[in-house]
Amino acid sequence: MTAAGMLVGIVGLRLNLRLAEPASLGLGARVLLAALMLGSAGLFAWRGAPIARAIWGSKKDTDLRLRPLGRRGWRFFWEVLCQAKVIRQRRLPGLAHALVYWGFLAFALVTINDLAEGFGCDLLARAGAFGAFYVAFAGAWALLVAFAIAGLFARRFLARPKWLGEVSLESGVIALLIFALMATYLAMLVVPQRSPAAACLWWAHTLVLLAFLPIIPGTKHLHLLLSPLTVFLKRPEFSQLSKLEGDEEFGLVTGKDLTRIIALQAYSCVECGRCTEHCPAAATGKVLNPKEVVLGVKAYLNSYGPGSDAPLLQDEPEGRQKALSMPAAFACTTCGSCEYQCPVGVQHLPVLIGLRRGAVNTGAWEDRYGTKLFLSLERQGNSLGMGAAERDKFIAKQRFPLFDGSQEYCLWLGCMGSYDPKGREIVADFARVMQALGTSFGVLKKESCAGDPARRLGNDLLFGELAEQGLKSFAQAGVKKIVTVCPHCLRTIASDWREYGVAPEIEHHSEFMARHAALLERLMVGEQGGSVVYHDPCYLGRYREVYEPPRAVVAMAGELVEAERHRERSFCCGAGGGLAFLGEEAGDRVSHGRTRELMETGAKTIGTACPFCNSMFRDALGEVGGAAPPQLLDIAQLVARRLPAQALDSGELKG
Amino acid sequence: MKIVVAVKQVPEREAVLRVTPDGRSIDESDVAWTMNEPDAYALEEALQLKQRAAEAGLGEAEVVVLSAGPERVQSTLREALAKGADRALHVVTPESGEGSLAERGSLDVARLLAEAVKGEQPELVLTGLQSDDLGAGQTGVVMAELLGLPHATLVLQVEFAGQGGVGRRIKVRRELEDGWTQFVEVPLPALLTIQSGGNRLRYATLMGIKRARQKEMRELSAATPTQRVDEVVKVSPPLRLKQTEMLTGAAEEIAAKLVERLRFEVKVL
Repeated sequence: MTAAGMLVGIVGLRLNLRLAEPASLGLGARVLLAALMLGSAGLFAWRGAPIARAIWGSKKDTDLRLRPLGRRGWRFFWEVLCQAKVIRQRRLPGLAHALVYWGFLAFALVTINDLAEGFGCDLLARAGAFGAFYVAFAGAWALLVAFAIAGLFARRFLARPKWLGEVSLESGVIALLIFALMATYLAMLVVPQRSPAAACLWWAHTLVLLAFLPIIPGTKHLHLLLSPLTVFLKRPEFSQLSKLEGDEEFGLVTGKDLTRIIALQAYSCVECGRCTEHCPAAATGKVLNPKEVVLGVKAYLNSYGPGSDAPLLQDEPEGRQKALSMPAAFACTTCGSCEYQCPVGVQHLPVLIGLRRGAVNTGAWEDRYGTKLFLSLERQGNSLGMGAAERDKFIAKQRFPLFDGSQEYCLWLGCMGSYDPKGREIVADFARVMQALGTSFGVLKKESCAGDPARRLGNDLLFGELAEQGLKSFAQAGVKKIVTVCPHCLRTIASDWREYGVAPEIEHHSEFMARHAALLERLMVGEQGGSVVYHDPCYLGRYREVYEPPRAVVAMAGELVEAERHRERSFCCGAGGGLAFLGEEAGDRVSHGRTRELMETGAKTIGTACPFCNSMFRDALGEVGGAAPPQLLDIAQLVARRLPAQALDSGELKG
Repeated sequence: MKIVVAVKQVPEREAVLRVTPDGRSIDESDVAWTMNEPDAYALEEALQLKQRAAEAGLGEAEVVVLSAGPERVQSTLREALAKGADRALHVVTPESGEGSLAERGSLDVARLLAEAVKGEQPELVLTGLQSDDLGAGQTGVVMAELLGLPHATLVLQVEFAGQGGVGRRIKVRRELEDGWTQFVEVPLPALLTIQSGGNRLRYATLMGIKRARQKEMRELSAATPTQRVDEVVKVSPPLRLKQTEMLTGAAEEIAAKLVERLRFEVKVL
């Protein structure tokens, strides 16, 4: 029976239901009740005050803007009130949680009335039509909540999914308290009025309620109170990094660098483990566990309080703070699954990248590969450490026109498009698509890395230099519109550069091609290719919410097939966060897992939309591709292959 | 202990270089500048020595970075301060014309630097083996001569040597041809010219740059140039000589054509 059906059924019975009232309390009992209420509230405040201090005493978020309120309001409605994310990402347990949550909301009135009743005051006027209806309405919810909490209890203590971590006694106690609240309420619907049984039930219900309150602070059940606020106050952008101000800010180095939002989010963590469940590093046995990182921040604040000078990354941390370590921070691919998944509004990336910024901006991070990457970016201006002359040669060979202000688009090549053999093929094929469409474009004479690996690895000095250089070259060339094949460049130029200035409008080649789909389809010749499984790049999907355009492009060229994890749940290729440059990973490789998953669809071709993903899968196919590996092509290549030969080989590209 | 590191600012490796109309130098107007690579390794060695001196109980070592040139060299000095040097000395020369770097030979530049070093009385002077732009490889050794210091060239690594009076002598590893290395003990004070690749360079950090703003950068005036003993006659870009020509026809014809070319054009037969 659906929840709604059940509700109607119970409401229909309302004439038969009456909530048993206890005989009115004597003076002594009322004094006792008042004392218990005060005690409960006092204990709650006593346990809650250090947490409030830790949050409020942390650094103010100078870049937090509440506007536009509409978007925040909508998110509050959708994610908190409707529990949409909770349900969508874990269907059954999510629904059970939503039922408990809605039940709590429905019970607010009953609870207030219950306490008022102790002092002889029936606020709800239960004899009235509304009161009678409400009693029955709450009764229906009590049934649903009791079922749901029993189910959640069974999941946690019998099924024991590993993401929930060690069995927590506290969760069991809370579940029993909730069940007891519902059971006592339901029992009050059937016992006779003013009977001793009614009095017993009333006291039991009230005592459970008063016991529940002080348990909330200091446990993950604090999310009951904090998470609505956390979801509302979340930083508006995905993986939004704050600007480092003044001479003493280098990222997250000590407790002084933790902001109120970070503290609020850490105390809101409900320990559900969705972040870790979806984390590519955790899934392949790396030391990173995003849930424990968040709890590590909380543990730090609990031990040191706000504004402490103690380093966040310690040599020999104890307890939960152990998860806060440099190897953990640098194992993150910044795929953003954690941040996307979190139902209570925790944003992991600003913490993980913040820790990296702290370590890199102070020079504490020493890594052979990392240093090599930074020096390549410092000296050669690209992440692959190649000479700029190599790019010049490629441009000359492809006969790409230089951008001179007369063309519509500036085609941004990026490091992969400029120097990587496969990246170059992708760029060349996309250029042919543009040419076939008759769109005019040019490339910059000189291009430096957009700064994505520097940004994600926390090198703000280098990132700032690259961003300023990039902004200057676009301004000097008079660029109005940019198109790129690389989602990392896209995100970095469109969002991260904003700290330094306004970049021209930029779009991904999937968006460009999808917009010209009608014309492209008219130009296409030959048979549709076979099945293509499309892999959502993190930096295009979760970072930019571009899901449909690349699918539309794939559908032009072949039959679109979905991998088990796709769209928002797409699994990382392992390259992001600068990890493509940090040498071979310890343990399983993220790219191997994802490649196997894509191959399991049986598709003839793997379609990518990011040169980094392409590069990772290219290597992985060599290892795990077997005797007849699928084809690996960028979506631009899928399209280019179906364009007539003369459109591709007509010599000079249009300037 | 005090270590002076002499560094040069050179055009970036990727810089597009144009020869000036007189054909004797490069046009500096549009060039991006960077620290000469062997000098970057010299600085790295100095910074590591500073750390090792502290670990060996030799007290706090000071690393002073030194450069001669116009205003622009201060960006390279700042970079050195950001990477960990304690203070900087800038021997200021005019941007162009009389007294500018372009007008001074290696001997003259070595004189400028040696003069600045004298004021510091360091125990060790480090500089790159040669510069990425002119590649004369003279400045370091000439400086040693002018300062009356013993020197070692092509040095990859430096360590403190000797018993008891640790720090009075150093042991250096020099690069020889064909992968051979040589260890030499040198008494202090001394001058070493450093070869690239002996260490891992460090990356510049935000904290380094911010801290560098508070570090001392002292400007020294440059002595008037002395008469050059050498003269730059001509600077020219490398000529592209590689040419490929496909010979076609039957195998016999190709062979005949090839022999003809090798005999009369390449003149090797």
